[in-house]
Amino acid sequence: MSMLDTTDVTPDSTPPRRLLNLTVNGQRRTVECEDRQLLVTLVREELNLKGTHVGCLNGDCGACTLECDGKIVKSCLMLAASADGSEIVTVDGLGTPEELAPIQEAFWNEDGFQCGFCLPGHLFAARDLIATNPDPTDDEIRQAIAGNLCRCTGYQSIVNSIRVAAAQARAE
Amino acid sequence: MIRTGLAYHAPESTREACALLADHGDGAAVLGGGTMLLPAMGRGEKTHDHVVDLRHLGLDGVTVTDDLVEIGARTTYSTLLEHELDGVAGLFTLAAGGITGGPQVRNQGTVGGSASYANPASDMPGVLVATGARLVLEGPNGTREVPAADFYTGAFETVRRPDEFLSVIRLARRPAQVGYYKVKLSESSWPIATASAQVQVEDGRVVSGTVTLGGVCARPFTVDVTALLDESGNFRGADRELDELVDGQIEDPWHDELAPGRYRRQIAGVAARRALHHTTQGGER
Repeated sequence: MSMLDTTDVTPDSTPPRRLLNLTVNGQRRTVECEDRQLLVTLVREELNLKGTHVGCLNGDCGACTLECDGKIVKSCLMLAASADGSEIVTVDGLGTPEELAPIQEAFWNEDGFQCGFCLPGHLFAARDLIATNPDPTDDEIRQAIAGNLCRCTGYQSIVNSIRVAAAQARAE
Repeated sequence: MIRTGLAYHAPESTREACALLADHGDGAAVLGGGTMLLPAMGRGEKTHDHVVDLRHLGLDGVTVTDDLVEIGARTTYSTLLEHELDGVAGLFTLAAGGITGGPQVRNQGTVGGSASYANPASDMPGVLVATGARLVLEGPNGTREVPAADFYTGAFETVRRPDEFLSVIRLARRPAQVGYYKVKLSESSWPIATASAQVQVEDGRVVSGTVTLGGVCARPFTVDVTALLDESGNFRGADRELDELVDGQIEDPWHDELAPGRYRRQIAGVAARRALHHTTQGGER
Protein backbone atom coordinates (compact mmCIF):
# COMPACT_ATOMS: atom_id res chain seq x y z
CA MET A 1 0.00 0.00 0.00
CA SER A 2 1.43 3.38 -0.84
CA MET A 3 0.32 6.73 0.45
CA LEU A 4 -0.16 9.19 -2.37
CA ASP A 5 -0.46 12.14 -0.07
CA THR A 6 1.30 12.07 3.25
CA THR A 7 0.56 15.62 4.33
CA ASP A 8 -1.13 16.13 7.63
CA VAL A 9 -4.83 16.58 7.18
CA THR A 10 -7.43 18.77 8.73
CA PRO A 11 -11.13 18.16 8.25
CA ASP A 12 -11.17 20.73 5.45
CA SER A 13 -8.08 19.75 3.54
CA THR A 14 -7.77 17.40 0.59
CA PRO A 15 -8.21 13.88 1.92
CA PRO A 16 -5.24 11.54 1.57
CA ARG A 17 -5.47 8.88 -1.10
CA ARG A 18 -3.74 5.57 -1.72
CA LEU A 19 -3.52 2.68 -4.12
CA LEU A 20 -5.10 -0.64 -3.27
CA ASN A 21 -4.40 -4.02 -4.77
CA LEU A 22 -7.46 -6.24 -4.76
CA THR A 23 -8.79 -9.36 -6.38
CA VAL A 24 -12.38 -8.60 -7.33
CA ASN A 25 -14.63 -11.34 -8.67
CA GLY A 26 -11.54 -13.24 -9.74
CA GLN A 27 -9.73 -10.33 -11.41
CA ARG A 28 -6.68 -8.52 -10.06
CA ARG A 29 -7.43 -4.82 -9.76
CA THR A 30 -5.35 -1.85 -8.70
CA VAL A 31 -7.56 1.01 -7.68
CA GLU A 32 -7.12 4.38 -6.07
CA CYS A 33 -9.19 5.37 -3.06
CA GLU A 34 -9.47 8.08 -0.49
CA ASP A 35 -8.38 7.01 3.00
CA ARG A 36 -11.82 7.92 4.31
CA GLN A 37 -13.66 5.94 1.65
CA LEU A 38 -15.87 3.07 2.71
CA LEU A 39 -15.48 -0.23 0.90
CA VAL A 40 -19.06 -0.03 -0.37
CA THR A 41 -18.44 3.24 -2.21
CA LEU A 42 -15.15 1.96 -3.62
CA VAL A 43 -16.93 -1.07 -5.04
CA ARG A 44 -19.73 0.97 -6.55
CA GLU A 45 -17.92 4.09 -7.68
CA GLU A 46 -14.34 3.09 -8.42
CA LEU A 47 -14.94 -0.52 -9.48
CA ASN A 48 -18.32 0.28 -11.04
CA LEU A 49 -19.99 -2.79 -9.57
CA LYS A 50 -23.50 -1.59 -8.82
CA GLY A 51 -24.97 -4.80 -7.44
CA THR A 52 -23.68 -3.93 -3.98
CA HIS A 53 -26.08 -1.37 -2.56
CA VAL A 54 -25.74 1.56 -0.20
CA GLY A 55 -28.53 1.22 2.33
CA CYS A 56 -28.45 2.33 5.92
CA LEU A 57 -24.69 2.96 6.23
CA ASN A 58 -25.11 1.72 9.78
CA GLY A 59 -24.60 -2.02 9.49
CA ASP A 60 -28.28 -2.77 9.92
CA CYS A 61 -29.71 -3.52 6.48
CA GLY A 62 -27.13 -5.80 4.84
CA ALA A 63 -27.68 -4.38 1.32
CA CYS A 64 -23.92 -3.71 1.03
CA THR A 65 -22.92 -7.29 1.84
CA LEU A 66 -20.03 -8.84 -0.05
CA GLU A 67 -17.44 -11.49 0.61
CA CYS A 68 -13.99 -10.40 1.73
CA ASP A 69 -11.33 -13.09 2.12
CA GLY A 70 -13.98 -15.77 2.39
CA LYS A 71 -16.10 -14.04 5.04
CA ILE A 72 -19.31 -12.20 4.32
CA VAL A 73 -19.17 -8.64 5.58
CA LYS A 74 -21.14 -5.43 5.45
CA SER A 75 -18.99 -3.21 3.28
CA CYS A 76 -20.36 -0.02 4.85
CA LEU A 77 -18.58 -1.06 8.04
CA MET A 78 -15.15 -1.29 6.40
CA LEU A 79 -12.76 1.33 5.17
CA ALA A 80 -11.65 0.49 1.65
CA ALA A 81 -8.05 0.85 2.80
CA SER A 82 -8.57 -2.01 5.26
CA ALA A 83 -9.32 -4.30 2.32
CA ASP A 84 -5.93 -3.82 0.65
CA GLY A 85 -4.62 -7.18 -0.53
CA SER A 86 -7.99 -8.87 -0.08
CA GLU A 87 -9.98 -11.12 -2.33
CA ILE A 88 -13.47 -9.74 -2.81
CA VAL A 89 -16.55 -11.34 -4.30
CA THR A 90 -19.53 -9.10 -4.89
CA VAL A 91 -23.07 -10.12 -5.75
CA ASP A 92 -22.14 -9.36 -9.36
CA GLY A 93 -19.65 -12.22 -9.17
CA LEU A 94 -22.05 -14.87 -7.85
CA GLY A 95 -23.43 -15.78 -11.26
CA THR A 96 -24.27 -14.30 -14.64
CA PRO A 97 -27.69 -13.44 -16.14
CA GLU A 98 -27.30 -16.50 -18.36
CA GLU A 99 -26.10 -18.76 -15.59
CA LEU A 100 -27.38 -17.79 -12.18
CA ALA A 101 -25.75 -19.18 -9.06
CA PRO A 102 -27.91 -21.87 -7.41
CA ILE A 103 -29.01 -19.51 -4.64
CA GLN A 104 -29.97 -16.86 -7.20
CA GLU A 105 -31.85 -19.46 -9.21
CA ALA A 106 -33.87 -20.44 -6.14
CA PHE A 107 -34.73 -16.80 -5.34
CA TRP A 108 -35.74 -16.29 -8.99
CA ASN A 109 -37.93 -19.39 -9.16
CA GLU A 110 -39.57 -18.87 -5.77
CA ASP A 111 -40.21 -15.13 -6.13
CA GLY A 112 -37.77 -14.57 -3.31
CA PHE A 113 -37.47 -10.85 -3.95
CA GLN A 114 -39.53 -7.90 -5.04
CA CYS A 115 -37.43 -4.77 -5.58
CA GLY A 116 -34.18 -6.66 -5.07
CA PHE A 117 -32.42 -3.96 -3.10
CA CYS A 118 -31.71 -6.24 -0.15
CA LEU A 119 -30.60 -9.18 -2.30
CA PRO A 120 -26.82 -8.96 -1.72
CA GLY A 121 -27.23 -9.60 2.00
CA HIS A 122 -29.88 -12.29 1.70
CA LEU A 123 -28.05 -14.16 -1.07
CA PHE A 124 -24.68 -14.16 0.67
CA ALA A 125 -26.16 -15.04 4.07
CA ALA A 126 -28.20 -17.84 2.51
CA ARG A 127 -25.24 -19.20 0.59
CA ASP A 128 -23.12 -19.15 3.77
CA LEU A 129 -25.82 -20.93 5.74
CA ILE A 130 -26.32 -23.71 3.21
CA ALA A 131 -22.56 -24.26 2.93
CA THR A 132 -22.31 -24.97 6.65
CA ASN A 133 -25.78 -26.30 7.38
CA PRO A 134 -27.25 -28.18 4.40
CA ASP A 135 -30.60 -28.85 6.06
CA PRO A 136 -31.49 -25.75 8.06
CA THR A 137 -34.73 -25.35 9.97
CA ASP A 138 -36.85 -22.29 9.28
CA ASP A 139 -35.66 -20.89 12.60
CA GLU A 140 -32.03 -21.35 11.57
CA ILE A 141 -32.78 -19.66 8.24
CA ARG A 142 -34.35 -16.73 10.02
CA GLN A 143 -31.36 -16.44 12.35
CA ALA A 144 -28.96 -16.55 9.39
CA ILE A 145 -30.69 -13.66 7.61
CA ALA A 146 -31.23 -11.63 10.76
CA GLY A 147 -28.62 -9.10 9.63
CA ASN A 148 -30.63 -8.11 6.55
CA LEU A 149 -33.67 -5.89 6.19
CA CYS A 150 -36.20 -6.26 3.37
CA ARG A 151 -38.23 -3.08 3.04
CA CYS A 152 -40.70 -4.96 0.80
CA THR A 153 -41.19 -7.21 3.87
CA GLY A 154 -41.03 -10.32 1.73
CA TYR A 155 -39.46 -12.43 4.42
CA GLN A 156 -41.72 -15.47 3.96
CA SER A 157 -40.70 -15.73 0.32
CA ILE A 158 -37.05 -15.25 1.24
CA VAL A 159 -37.18 -18.02 3.86
CA ASN A 160 -38.99 -20.25 1.37
CA SER A 161 -36.39 -19.57 -1.34
CA ILE A 162 -33.57 -20.52 1.02
CA ARG A 163 -35.40 -23.67 2.09
CA VAL A 164 -35.77 -24.63 -1.57
CA ALA A 165 -32.14 -23.78 -2.36
CA ALA A 166 -30.97 -25.98 0.53
CA ALA A 167 -33.14 -28.87 -0.66
CA GLN A 168 -31.77 -28.54 -4.19
CA ALA A 169 -28.20 -28.46 -2.91
CA ARG A 170 -28.85 -31.65 -0.91
CA ALA A 171 -30.35 -33.34 -3.96
CA GLU A 172 -27.31 -32.65 -6.13
CA MET B 1 -19.71 8.36 3.61
CA ILE B 2 -17.26 10.06 5.93
CA ARG B 3 -17.30 13.74 5.05
CA THR B 4 -14.15 14.84 6.83
CA GLY B 5 -10.63 14.01 5.74
CA LEU B 6 -8.72 11.37 7.58
CA ALA B 7 -5.41 9.61 7.23
CA TYR B 8 -5.50 5.85 7.47
CA HIS B 9 -2.65 4.03 9.16
CA ALA B 10 -2.04 0.30 9.38
CA PRO B 11 1.05 0.02 11.60
CA GLU B 12 3.21 -3.07 11.32
CA SER B 13 4.29 -3.13 14.97
CA THR B 14 3.03 -2.35 18.44
CA ARG B 15 5.70 0.31 18.77
CA GLU B 16 4.59 2.00 15.56
CA ALA B 17 0.94 1.88 16.66
CA CYS B 18 1.78 3.41 20.03
CA ALA B 19 3.83 6.15 18.36
CA LEU B 20 0.94 7.05 16.06
CA LEU B 21 -1.49 7.23 18.96
CA ALA B 22 0.97 9.25 21.02
CA ASP B 23 1.55 11.67 18.14
CA HIS B 24 -2.10 12.27 17.37
CA GLY B 25 -3.76 11.93 20.78
CA ASP B 26 -7.53 12.35 20.78
CA GLY B 27 -7.40 13.10 17.04
CA ALA B 28 -6.69 9.43 16.37
CA ALA B 29 -9.14 6.59 16.63
CA VAL B 30 -8.24 2.94 17.03
CA LEU B 31 -10.11 0.89 14.45
CA GLY B 32 -11.38 -2.45 15.68
CA GLY B 33 -14.08 -4.16 13.63
CA GLY B 34 -15.42 -0.80 12.48
CA THR B 35 -19.00 -1.67 13.29
CA MET B 36 -19.50 1.26 15.67
CA LEU B 37 -16.73 3.72 14.78
CA LEU B 38 -17.34 4.04 11.04
CA PRO B 39 -21.12 4.63 11.17
CA ALA B 40 -20.55 7.19 13.93
CA MET B 41 -17.97 8.97 11.76
CA GLY B 42 -20.32 8.80 8.79
CA ARG B 43 -23.04 10.50 10.81
CA GLY B 44 -20.57 13.13 11.93
CA GLU B 45 -20.97 12.16 15.57
CA LYS B 46 -17.27 11.41 15.76
CA THR B 47 -14.50 13.14 13.86
CA HIS B 48 -10.97 11.80 13.77
CA ASP B 49 -8.16 13.03 11.56
CA HIS B 50 -6.34 9.73 11.89
CA VAL B 51 -7.58 6.16 12.01
CA VAL B 52 -5.19 3.48 13.25
CA ASP B 53 -6.10 0.04 11.96
CA LEU B 54 -4.54 -2.75 14.04
CA ARG B 55 -5.03 -5.40 11.37
CA HIS B 56 -1.32 -6.08 10.83
CA LEU B 57 -0.52 -6.65 14.50
CA GLY B 58 -1.63 -10.27 14.66
CA LEU B 59 -4.19 -9.61 17.35
CA ASP B 60 -6.85 -11.91 15.96
CA GLY B 61 -7.04 -15.36 17.44
CA VAL B 62 -7.72 -17.37 20.55
CA THR B 63 -5.05 -19.28 22.47
CA VAL B 64 -6.02 -21.81 25.11
CA THR B 65 -3.42 -23.28 27.46
CA ASP B 66 -3.86 -25.40 30.59
CA ASP B 67 -4.40 -22.34 32.74
CA LEU B 68 -5.24 -19.44 30.47
CA VAL B 69 -7.44 -18.27 27.65
CA GLU B 70 -6.05 -15.41 25.60
CA ILE B 71 -8.31 -13.64 23.15
CA GLY B 72 -6.67 -11.20 20.76
CA ALA B 73 -8.42 -7.85 20.73
CA ARG B 74 -9.21 -8.16 17.00
CA THR B 75 -10.79 -11.58 17.38
CA THR B 76 -14.17 -11.53 15.71
CA TYR B 77 -17.22 -13.20 17.20
CA SER B 78 -17.15 -15.84 14.44
CA THR B 79 -13.54 -16.71 15.23
CA LEU B 80 -14.50 -16.95 18.89
CA LEU B 81 -17.25 -19.39 17.95
CA GLU B 82 -14.74 -21.65 16.19
CA HIS B 83 -13.21 -22.44 19.58
CA GLU B 84 -14.82 -24.64 22.16
CA LEU B 85 -14.24 -22.53 25.22
CA ASP B 86 -15.09 -24.32 28.42
CA GLY B 87 -15.82 -23.37 32.01
CA VAL B 88 -16.18 -19.69 32.72
CA ALA B 89 -14.78 -18.83 29.27
CA GLY B 90 -17.86 -20.53 27.80
CA LEU B 91 -19.70 -17.28 28.54
CA PHE B 92 -17.86 -15.73 25.59
CA THR B 93 -19.20 -18.44 23.30
CA LEU B 94 -22.76 -18.03 24.56
CA ALA B 95 -22.65 -14.26 24.09
CA ALA B 96 -20.90 -14.38 20.71
CA GLY B 97 -23.54 -16.68 19.24
CA GLY B 98 -26.25 -14.12 19.83
CA ILE B 99 -24.51 -10.95 18.71
CA THR B 100 -26.93 -8.69 16.88
CA GLY B 101 -26.37 -7.96 13.20
CA GLY B 102 -26.33 -11.41 11.66
CA PRO B 103 -23.37 -13.43 10.44
CA GLN B 104 -21.84 -10.43 8.70
CA VAL B 105 -21.47 -8.48 11.92
CA ARG B 106 -20.25 -11.60 13.74
CA ASN B 107 -17.54 -11.76 11.03
CA GLN B 108 -16.62 -8.12 11.60
CA GLY B 109 -17.30 -7.09 15.18
CA THR B 110 -14.36 -7.71 17.48
CA VAL B 111 -14.19 -8.56 21.15
CA GLY B 112 -11.64 -5.84 21.77
CA GLY B 113 -13.60 -3.26 19.83
CA SER B 114 -16.73 -3.91 21.83
CA ALA B 115 -14.74 -4.01 25.06
CA SER B 116 -13.18 -0.62 24.33
CA TYR B 117 -16.35 1.02 23.03
CA ALA B 118 -17.93 0.34 26.41
CA ASN B 119 -21.54 0.62 25.38
CA PRO B 120 -23.44 -0.47 28.51
CA ALA B 121 -25.91 -2.34 26.30
CA SER B 122 -23.25 -4.41 24.53
CA ASP B 123 -22.71 -8.05 25.41
CA MET B 124 -18.96 -7.90 25.94
CA PRO B 125 -18.54 -5.59 28.96
CA GLY B 126 -20.73 -7.83 31.13
CA VAL B 127 -19.02 -11.01 29.94
CA LEU B 128 -15.56 -9.54 30.53
CA VAL B 129 -16.44 -8.59 34.09
CA ALA B 130 -18.18 -11.92 34.71
CA THR B 131 -15.20 -13.96 33.56
CA GLY B 132 -12.71 -11.96 35.62
CA ALA B 133 -10.87 -11.10 32.41
CA ARG B 134 -7.83 -8.87 32.42
CA LEU B 135 -7.40 -6.39 29.62
CA VAL B 136 -3.89 -5.83 28.28
CA LEU B 137 -3.25 -2.26 27.20
CA GLU B 138 -0.27 -1.28 25.08
CA GLY B 139 1.00 2.25 25.43
CA PRO B 140 4.09 4.39 24.97
CA ASN B 141 5.37 3.41 28.40
CA GLY B 142 4.85 -0.30 27.92
CA THR B 143 2.13 -2.76 28.76
CA ARG B 144 -0.33 -2.70 31.60
CA GLU B 145 -3.00 -5.17 32.58
CA VAL B 146 -6.32 -3.97 33.97
CA PRO B 147 -9.03 -6.18 35.50
CA ALA B 148 -12.27 -5.81 33.55
CA ALA B 149 -14.09 -4.65 36.69
CA ASP B 150 -11.69 -1.68 36.88
CA PHE B 151 -11.58 -1.06 33.12
CA TYR B 152 -15.05 0.42 32.92
CA THR B 153 -15.50 3.82 34.53
CA GLY B 154 -18.90 4.66 33.08
CA ALA B 155 -21.02 4.50 29.96
CA PHE B 156 -18.70 4.62 26.93
CA GLU B 157 -15.83 5.36 29.30
CA THR B 158 -12.83 3.25 30.21
CA VAL B 159 -9.42 3.74 31.78
CA ARG B 160 -7.80 3.35 28.36
CA ARG B 161 -5.80 6.48 27.57
CA PRO B 162 -5.88 7.98 24.06
CA ASP B 163 -2.30 6.80 23.46
CA GLU B 164 -3.10 3.21 24.42
CA PHE B 165 -4.81 0.36 22.67
CA LEU B 166 -6.25 -2.92 23.88
CA SER B 167 -4.21 -5.84 22.57
CA VAL B 168 -5.26 -8.98 24.42
CA ILE B 169 -7.96 -10.20 26.77
CA ARG B 170 -6.62 -12.72 29.24
CA LEU B 171 -8.57 -14.91 31.59
CA ALA B 172 -7.87 -17.82 33.89
CA ARG B 173 -9.46 -21.11 32.92
CA ARG B 174 -11.84 -22.03 35.70
CA PRO B 175 -14.41 -24.81 35.71
CA ALA B 176 -17.97 -23.57 36.06
CA GLN B 177 -21.47 -24.17 34.84
CA VAL B 178 -22.42 -21.08 32.90
CA GLY B 179 -25.61 -19.58 31.58
CA TYR B 180 -26.29 -16.47 29.55
CA TYR B 181 -29.49 -14.62 28.95
CA LYS B 182 -30.25 -11.31 27.36
CA VAL B 183 -33.40 -9.32 27.09
CA LYS B 184 -33.89 -7.71 23.70
CA LEU B 185 -36.87 -6.54 21.73
CA SER B 186 -36.22 -8.53 18.58
CA GLU B 187 -33.54 -10.60 16.85
CA SER B 188 -31.97 -7.50 15.32
CA SER B 189 -32.28 -5.34 18.42
CA TRP B 190 -29.54 -4.37 20.84
CA PRO B 191 -29.72 -5.97 24.28
CA ILE B 192 -31.54 -4.13 27.02
CA ALA B 193 -30.04 -6.27 29.76
CA THR B 194 -27.57 -9.14 29.77
CA ALA B 195 -26.99 -11.68 32.53
CA SER B 196 -23.92 -13.92 32.80
CA ALA B 197 -24.38 -16.62 35.45
CA GLN B 198 -21.73 -18.98 36.72
CA VAL B 199 -21.90 -21.69 39.33
CA GLN B 200 -18.84 -23.46 40.70
CA VAL B 201 -19.43 -26.98 41.96
CA GLU B 202 -16.66 -29.09 43.50
CA ASP B 203 -17.08 -32.73 44.50
CA GLY B 204 -20.79 -32.46 43.88
CA ARG B 205 -21.25 -29.52 46.23
CA VAL B 206 -21.79 -25.91 45.31
CA VAL B 207 -18.90 -23.59 46.09
CA SER B 208 -20.11 -20.30 44.68
CA GLY B 209 -22.52 -18.72 42.28
CA THR B 210 -22.64 -15.26 40.75
CA VAL B 211 -24.60 -13.35 38.17
CA THR B 212 -23.11 -10.35 36.34
CA LEU B 213 -25.62 -7.92 34.92
CA GLY B 214 -24.81 -5.79 31.87
CA GLY B 215 -26.91 -3.06 30.34
CA VAL B 216 -28.72 -2.39 33.60
CA CYS B 217 -26.34 0.26 34.88
CA ALA B 218 -23.59 2.25 33.16
CA ARG B 219 -21.09 -0.35 34.33
CA PRO B 220 -21.60 -4.12 34.70
CA PHE B 221 -22.03 -5.36 38.26
CA THR B 222 -21.91 -8.76 39.91
CA VAL B 223 -24.29 -10.26 42.46
CA ASP B 224 -23.28 -13.15 44.72
CA VAL B 225 -26.13 -15.65 44.59
CA THR B 226 -24.43 -18.56 46.39
CA ALA B 227 -26.97 -18.41 49.22
CA LEU B 228 -29.80 -18.90 46.72
CA LEU B 229 -28.44 -22.18 45.35
CA ASP B 230 -29.04 -25.67 46.67
CA GLU B 231 -26.20 -28.08 47.48
CA SER B 232 -25.91 -29.17 43.84
CA GLY B 233 -25.78 -25.61 42.57
CA ASN B 234 -29.35 -25.33 41.32
CA PHE B 235 -31.24 -22.10 41.84
CA ARG B 236 -33.70 -22.79 44.63
CA GLY B 237 -36.36 -20.65 42.98
CA ALA B 238 -36.25 -17.83 45.50
CA ASP B 239 -37.30 -15.28 42.91
CA ARG B 240 -38.08 -12.50 45.32
CA GLU B 241 -34.77 -12.84 47.16
CA LEU B 242 -32.90 -12.76 43.87
CA ASP B 243 -34.83 -9.70 42.73
CA GLU B 244 -33.94 -7.95 45.99
CA LEU B 245 -30.28 -8.89 45.72
CA VAL B 246 -30.10 -7.53 42.18
CA ASP B 247 -32.19 -4.45 42.91
CA GLY B 248 -29.98 -3.62 45.87
CA GLN B 249 -27.05 -3.09 43.50
CA ILE B 250 -28.89 -0.73 41.16
CA GLU B 251 -28.46 2.87 42.17
CA ASP B 252 -28.70 4.66 38.87
CA PRO B 253 -30.01 2.42 36.08
CA TRP B 254 -28.84 2.99 32.51
CA HIS B 255 -31.32 4.36 30.01
CA ASP B 256 -31.14 4.65 26.25
CA GLU B 257 -33.50 4.73 23.28
CA LEU B 258 -34.46 1.09 23.85
CA ALA B 259 -35.65 1.28 27.42
CA PRO B 260 -35.85 3.65 30.37
CA GLY B 261 -33.99 2.95 33.59
CA ARG B 262 -37.09 1.88 35.49
CA TYR B 263 -37.76 -0.86 32.94
CA ARG B 264 -34.20 -2.09 33.18
CA ARG B 265 -34.49 -2.18 36.97
CA GLN B 266 -37.63 -4.27 36.69
CA ILE B 267 -36.30 -6.85 34.27
CA ALA B 268 -32.79 -7.20 35.74
CA GLY B 269 -33.90 -9.83 38.24
CA VAL B 270 -35.73 -11.76 35.53
CA ALA B 271 -32.64 -11.81 33.33
CA ALA B 272 -30.53 -12.99 36.29
CA ARG B 273 -33.01 -15.77 37.09
CA ARG B 274 -33.13 -17.05 33.51
CA ALA B 275 -29.34 -17.01 33.19
CA LEU B 276 -29.12 -19.00 36.44
CA HIS B 277 -31.62 -21.55 35.13
CA HIS B 278 -29.48 -21.95 32.02
CA THR B 279 -26.45 -22.93 34.11
CA THR B 280 -28.11 -26.28 34.74
CA GLN B 281 -30.33 -26.52 31.68
CA GLY B 282 -27.79 -25.52 29.03
CA GLY B 283 -26.92 -21.99 28.06
CA GLU B 284 -29.32 -20.22 25.81
CA ARG B 285 -29.32 -16.77 24.44
